[in-house]
Amino acid sequence: MTETNGRRRVVVTGTGVVTPIGTTVPEFWDSMKQSKCGVSELGGFPLEDLKILIAAQIKNFDHKARLKHFSRDKIIMHADRYSWFAGAAADEAVKQSGLEMPVADPYRTACIIGSGAGGLTTYEEAYRNLFIHNKRATHPLTLLRIIGSSAAAHVGIEYGIKGPTFATCSACSTATHAIGLALEYIRRGVVDVAIAGASESVINYGTMKAWQALHVLSPEGCFPFDKKRNGTVLGEGAGILVIEELEHARKRGANILAEIVGYGSTSDARDMVNPGVEGPSEAMRLALLDAELEPEKIDYLNAHGTATAINDENETNAIKQVYGDHARKLAISSTKSMHGHPLGAGGGIEAVACIKAMEENWVPPTIGLTDPDPACDLDYVPNKGREMEVTYTMSNSFAFGGLNAVLVFGPAPAA
Amino acid sequence: MDEVASKIVDILKKHMKEPRDDIALSTELQDLSIESLDLAMIVFDIEDTFGIEIPYNANEDVEDFKTVGSVVDKVRALVEASSGGAAAAKA
Repeated sequence: MTETNGRRRVVVTGTGVVTPIGTTVPEFWDSMKQSKCGVSELGGFPLEDLKILIAAQIKNFDHKARLKHFSRDKIIMHADRYSWFAGAAADEAVKQSGLEMPVADPYRTACIIGSGAGGLTTYEEAYRNLFIHNKRATHPLTLLRIIGSSAAAHVGIEYGIKGPTFATCSACSTATHAIGLALEYIRRGVVDVAIAGASESVINYGTMKAWQALHVLSPEGCFPFDKKRNGTVLGEGAGILVIEELEHARKRGANILAEIVGYGSTSDARDMVNPGVEGPSEAMRLALLDAELEPEKIDYLNAHGTATAINDENETNAIKQVYGDHARKLAISSTKSMHGHPLGAGGGIEAVACIKAMEENWVPPTIGLTDPDPACDLDYVPNKGREMEVTYTMSNSFAFGGLNAVLVFGPAPAA
Repeated sequence: MDEVASKIVDILKKHMKEPRDDIALSTELQDLSIESLDLAMIVFDIEDTFGIEIPYNANEDVEDFKTVGSVVDKVRALVEASSGGAAAAKA
């Protein structure tokens, strides 16, 4: 059976990540197995008067080594760091998929790589040069580096993708929306293959100041669901999938990693920063409905879990509302405790965590969880990951503005 | 109300949808329907007005932001701390 209710089925054949705890999927996974924390002292630029002095930065990423074989896209080396992350994660995913590049059927392939903010660090550098150093002009590539669709364009050029190519933008739900849209494109027969996910790299003086002024960053660390949690910790990175129509993957003998079985997306339409229970619950419910799964079928849920006071309690309440009694049996974790909050890229990285969890029957932990908040009373797999049978997983992404997106992953369909 | 207090009340009123004239030191911020984003903007305005920095984290319930009076006390303490002995001598 290749269609459910006449619908084309969509599978994942490639995964790629760049994160503070590993710049490839195997390193990232290995770090999670060791409950490694990617939060460290902020650095890489003058900190001046900053008060928040921690972040989950990627400190060992060599873009020249990772992208030197790019041949069709001549200028990715000169792109913003966020495009480098996207290029490297897409490259890893494409290699794992075994797809030949440039793609054989360019108009039947999509490239949807979002970003919450695009090249903000390029912006800052350009404006410093103009306003502080009184330079006569910005670097000629400034505009191309800044635009939030540049990562999608770079990757699309490199792989010769001529179908729908653009970025999504929904703050912390960006990657999940990108993957959800790509899923729908394949289901509807617009394309057969898609590279989808998101990338983010905004840790600089100006962004830190902006986040600081919102007073939601923790000065100490990212402790989801813990009583001591006092804000999130900014991260950076990329998470990208290669997904394709089931028969397309089978025909070329691809190794199928998982199936994307459900997607749900809603908006709270309520408040820019205070989430409601209804929007997130409805997104989870729609994703389960789309997957034609009862809530009891989900074994592991990768929570949005930002470690802000309000998100973790609200998400816990939303999970209880959707899952009922099963909420207490469900293994839930926030991997942001390890890789920080990579904003738009979060859902891409966390999708990979879900897919790996099913592949290895092991769920990653929520680290730093020593004193659970009584208002967060579910099983968040504290501090150490767990071996368990994992057949279906859910990944939650909830963003500022009340923008919610949820994906459900299932096993590779039996041949 | 002294100058610090009336400046703070003015800032609060600026950020209220329906400014009231009955704001006292004992008024609770909660009763002024001030929400988290409003508070971030109010803190910013106060910092600019008094040339101070207020330690504030939206994730924590802080006593300093319970009533108008507690905000005034906090600001007064920070102003004194930042201007040191000079302000104390003038007062």
